Amino acid sequence: MKFRRILFSTKNAYSQNTDKIFVKAMKENCEYQYRHCVEYRKILDGMKFSPNDIKSMKDLEKLPFIPTLLFKKHKLYSVPPSRTVIRATSSGTKGIKSEIGFCISDLYAGLKMVLRVSKLRGLFSPVPCHYIVFGYKPHRSNKTAVTKTALGATLFTPALSRTFALTYQNGKYSLNLENILQAVIKYRNSRFPVRFMGFPSYTYFLMKMMDERDIHVKLPENSKILLGGGWKQFYTEQVDKDIFYGLAKKVLGIDDSNIIEFFGAVEHPVLYCDCKNHHFHVPVYSRVLIRDADTLEVLENEKEGLVNLMTPMLKACPVLSVMTDDLAILHDGKKCGCGIESPYLEIIGRIGMKDIKTCAAGAAELLREMKI
Amino acid sequence: MIIAKGTIYDTKQQDDILEHIEDEIIKTLSEKSLHIETVLSAIETLCKKLQDGDFDDIIQSLSIDNADMYKHQAIKMLSRENILFKLKTELGENFLKEYETEPPRNFTKIRIKTRPLGVLLHIAAGNIDGLPAFSLAEGLLTGNINILKLPSADNGLSVRIVAELINAEPSLADFIYVFDTPSTDIAAISKMANISDGIIVWGSEAAVSAVRNLAPVNAKLIEWGHKLSFAYISGYEDKENELNLLAEHIITTKGLLCSSCQVIYIDTDNFEEVTAFCREFFPVLEKSAKKHLPSDIGSRAEMSLRRYADKLESFFHENKKDMFNGEFCSLVPKTDSELELSDMFGSVLVKPLPGSDIVKILRKKRGFLQTAGLICEAKKRKELSEMLSRCGIVRITRAGDMSSAFSGEAHDGEYPLRRYIRVVNEQI
Repeated sequence: MKFRRILFSTKNAYSQNTDKIFVKAMKENCEYQYRHCVEYRKILDGMKFSPNDIKSMKDLEKLPFIPTLLFKKHKLYSVPPSRTVIRATSSGTKGIKSEIGFCISDLYAGLKMVLRVSKLRGLFSPVPCHYIVFGYKPHRSNKTAVTKTALGATLFTPALSRTFALTYQNGKYSLNLENILQAVIKYRNSRFPVRFMGFPSYTYFLMKMMDERDIHVKLPENSKILLGGGWKQFYTEQVDKDIFYGLAKKVLGIDDSNIIEFFGAVEHPVLYCDCKNHHFHVPVYSRVLIRDADTLEVLENEKEGLVNLMTPMLKACPVLSVMTDDLAILHDGKKCGCGIESPYLEIIGRIGMKDIKTCAAGAAELLREMKI
Repeated sequence: MIIAKGTIYDTKQQDDILEHIEDEIIKTLSEKSLHIETVLSAIETLCKKLQDGDFDDIIQSLSIDNADMYKHQAIKMLSRENILFKLKTELGENFLKEYETEPPRNFTKIRIKTRPLGVLLHIAAGNIDGLPAFSLAEGLLTGNINILKLPSADNGLSVRIVAELINAEPSLADFIYVFDTPSTDIAAISKMANISDGIIVWGSEAAVSAVRNLAPVNAKLIEWGHKLSFAYISGYEDKENELNLLAEHIITTKGLLCSSCQVIYIDTDNFEEVTAFCREFFPVLEKSAKKHLPSDIGSRAEMSLRRYADKLESFFHENKKDMFNGEFCSLVPKTDSELELSDMFGSVLVKPLPGSDIVKILRKKRGFLQTAGLICEAKKRKELSEMLSRCGIVRITRAGDMSSAFSGEAHDGEYPLRRYIRVVNEQI
């Protein structure tokens, strides 16, 4: 995967001159997946598309994209699963999960990407810190990508301690905010900064709980809140970002410049990190197309639609063009003003019918499992 | 929120209330009985308020399509004459009258009277708006004391209805208890079950099976589970019209109702005829789908993405290759005859089923069978209806009316009110 190597070696993660190499890497990846994944070949053949059809960025619009729903129903691999070193599953917002594998070369590409993207917000630091992870405490039964990235991200700086919000007890995970609160109180006078990691909803619950109990602390300088993993089942609790930042300042003494949000999907393992204006610019490893909700045709920037993410990052699974379950708008990069010119993605919500009610036998169960 | 004897309590007081509920119930059972006129009058007041727009705010908040149509349907259903018609259909013409038997051969005469079953626990489902209140009303009409466990998805409509009923007729208060206990609070639900004469459970297979596990042996179980329905085609009376109506039914109910068509059966053993039907019916279905597009982008996106995923999947399976795919609907011809759930939301299965196999094939789904929408030549209707009745189906309608409500119809093959009463024989 020569062209992938070149693409993932790009020095500036937000460089604007990578279209040519991106197209070559996509073609290279498409040819590989077509040869090695039976299902992927059937899809391309069925849609009458050949890897040779990829010659320009425009051609990538015609490359059949795979909805994440399909990864939930089928395991699609281009290398024997035994040759993958990590298998990550989506955290299952509701119901069944996708499973995506990574082989060694995929991880290597990923590592280079993580290093470059996280430079954007100064995530690496030799100063050790205390980690508070609003995520799952690793356990052998949990393969979710969120667990892995949350733990992985605690390697950005040396860890003095790690406290987990979701602990494994009696065969299941349960949320233990009291435990976290005690840790916050304990570390407020530490010489070293604190880093919060994980689901925004739990971070928000903790801050709300602290505010209700009138517990306001000023954490050591350079303490950071790292958010990722989406709002999960608390979508309706999703708060306005400004309220979130305001609360962080009020109860933890953390400025919004120290709040960093990540975005990614197990089916599109490119790391999106927000810029200082909290926008998700598209890094060189990825391209985004927004598609019309009815016709699935590509829309121009500034229009709301389904999110089609493309990357030649993985060899192990055919995730080169996937359609997520999000609704989003792609904005012109220059509008942001942070200096990065690549377009930025604004997630508006999730697709899905509101409040489906059914009395057809088996339907409730099926809908729960297949919840997009 | 809890309603007990007309007073509203906080959920936190659940255990206190459950502690004393049996004593209260015994007192009511010993001292009071509920007159049907009281219930009829309360429902009449409620119906008037519904008509006058008192419920419009809450109906608006449900954000359902065709809310106005459902409101008018509800007004008609709740009218005094319709409820009396229901009572007479289900319980017989003289449902309230006591009488003495005139037995042959000098058997001893006895007096026959009907009485409420006693205490009914309604474990309601949230899949139809207002359903918990409907279940409760059936319990009141038969004079029972009712404990209603609300579904977690209740949107406030049921509580509002119950409050209005008690407001209209305060004497109903002793006969109504409403709890918002979550289904996971097994201890509380078991307590309610242990003081009940009948447990009415609405919901999915999992809900029914959970209740079977916790129900005491001395309580009668009344199960309103989820069902499957299909259309059966054996020729036509007015082809264009019938296919249009079937398409409208499939699209507007989205395959979500017990009575929604999941499979269209063609009376044949030749698969060619199945695909020929698909070719003909697909444009009709697509026309309907485009006419009834959901208004919000999230729903439309989900539907187009599901249909796109179906298309990709069809390349994996040989037998799915002949799928008929549209943007918002699809027809999936299959060679087997099993009755199964479709992919819903405009997707429906098409299968062969020769008339002679109806009983053999469909009996496999006994207990789940509900409606057959029958499209056939006029001369075959009687014979095919009879065959469908034999397989275990409980409703046979014209294809466009599979989900229509009919006054006086049974509920999944039974008259519910009959199950909520008992017959007392008294030696004279």
